[in-house]
Amino acid sequence: MTADDVVILCAAGMLVSVYLMVGQKALFVAIRLYGVQSVLLGVVAVAMALSEHRSHLFTSAALTIGLKGLLIPWFLMRVIDRIGIHREIEPYVNIPSSLLICLGLTIVGYRVSSGLAEADHAVTHHVVGVSLSMLLMGLFLMVSRRKAVTQILALLSVENAVFLVALGATSGMPLVVELGISFDVIVAVLVLGILVHRIVDRFESMDVSRLSKLKG
Amino acid sequence: MTGGMAAGLQAAALLAAAPLVRGGMKKAKAAFQNRQGPPLLQGYYDLAKLLRKEPVRSEASSWIFGAGPRLYFATALAATALVPVLFAGAPLEEAGGILVFVGLMALGRFALATAALDTGSPFGGMGSSREMTVAALAEPALLLGLFTVGLAGGSLNLGDLVRATALRGPSAHPSELLAAAALFIVLIAEAGRVPVDNPATHLELTMIHEAMTLEYSGPDLALVEWASALKELLFMTVLVNLFLPFGLALDPGAGALALSAAFYAGKVFLLAVAVTLVEVTNAKLRLFRVPELMAVSLGLGFLALTIRFL
Repeated sequence: MTADDVVILCAAGMLVSVYLMVGQKALFVAIRLYGVQSVLLGVVAVAMALSEHRSHLFTSAALTIGLKGLLIPWFLMRVIDRIGIHREIEPYVNIPSSLLICLGLTIVGYRVSSGLAEADHAVTHHVVGVSLSMLLMGLFLMVSRRKAVTQILALLSVENAVFLVALGATSGMPLVVELGISFDVIVAVLVLGILVHRIVDRFESMDVSRLSKLKG
Repeated sequence: MTGGMAAGLQAAALLAAAPLVRGGMKKAKAAFQNRQGPPLLQGYYDLAKLLRKEPVRSEASSWIFGAGPRLYFATALAATALVPVLFAGAPLEEAGGILVFVGLMALGRFALATAALDTGSPFGGMGSSREMTVAALAEPALLLGLFTVGLAGGSLNLGDLVRATALRGPSAHPSELLAAAALFIVLIAEAGRVPVDNPATHLELTMIHEAMTLEYSGPDLALVEWASALKELLFMTVLVNLFLPFGLALDPGAGALALSAAFYAGKVFLLAVAVTLVEVTNAKLRLFRVPELMAVSLGLGFLALTIRFL
């Protein structure tokens, strides 16, 4: 198996993880799936680093696996544990329809990627296709889910998708940019965690649709 | 060696191994839960005990009740001839491919569900209707997953497909992984494993497969249990040989077959551990949630097929 194969399979694994996130309702499983997705992203970075001899990608792989694969899932689990909310995702759109919509979004993402000039190159084609699909599905998840934590997870999936396309299309951004993004993500999750606490304090629920009651 | 002899040998070997795989999964599950678990060979003891017993049948039942388990067992046994196990090629592959395989499974399920309805007990009817609900959703996913592989290998014959993948090695295309994920969910549903059904429970609200077999005793029950174990092993075999064709014997020599048997045992062991891990880390889904899981599988299968064309 070449490095390209590993990259393609890991990207496909990330796509599967987003699908499973859309398709089930347990909050803990969704968080675990995000962890798995980030670890797969880390493996993509390692494969790229080995095949293209870019040692700074090892740093970003370590950051991805450590921060996004372990620290953020642990933190989100703790947030949920602390609040002790009802541990089910309540989508606006029911699951079979969500899956159908995501199916359509994936086809759009893939179709767009095959129109790119680099599409003859199998790795670029698949990586860009998977990340565009993940991006669209993440956006869909954000608007179709009621709970604040699931929206955070959707945002993080979108971030993973952007990272994946950066890895696949440009073989990695400069280290400074990657460090900056990683810490941005951490700070965003921390802030959002506090925000979730505040929402739960105020409404005794994580349902963001109740925020509309705030208007005067 | 003729095709018929090979088919007989393969069927006998799979039949002999199936209870061991079940026993191993029970043992692994127990190990994950810090329990001792039943002995590895418990499946064989149970079958021996049940086969010695006298069958007890309800007076209200007809011949259909007795025919159900026999047909269920026969279809599972017939399906073994279509599946490549150690050698890259099925013993009777000219008899049919994917469609015959899926059809045999459906026929067996139909026989058992009809037989469970025969006694008129409410549990049997409930079990049948649940089993058919799950199967109606699992079957298209199974077909889509297998068709995806068929599209890549250019054939609908399991023997041809495995030969093609064994020769060129597993291809790195996203659709392979999506199809494998879809088929893994189907495996869990067909084998009646935890997120879908719990093989260890007799709680009337949750059981699916067990509810159908509740009325059976003695040799009839042994046939059903044995055929279920065989079916599970068959699905695992198809999954590992289609997606991980490492070490598969390309020529039928004794040395190559022995090596292939070792590889096969290893791959099935890994897959069994994966299924057990899913079983211990997930809670059983509510019955009305099961269609959602099957929809995920169906979606993955459809996507796998679509991505091939994009």
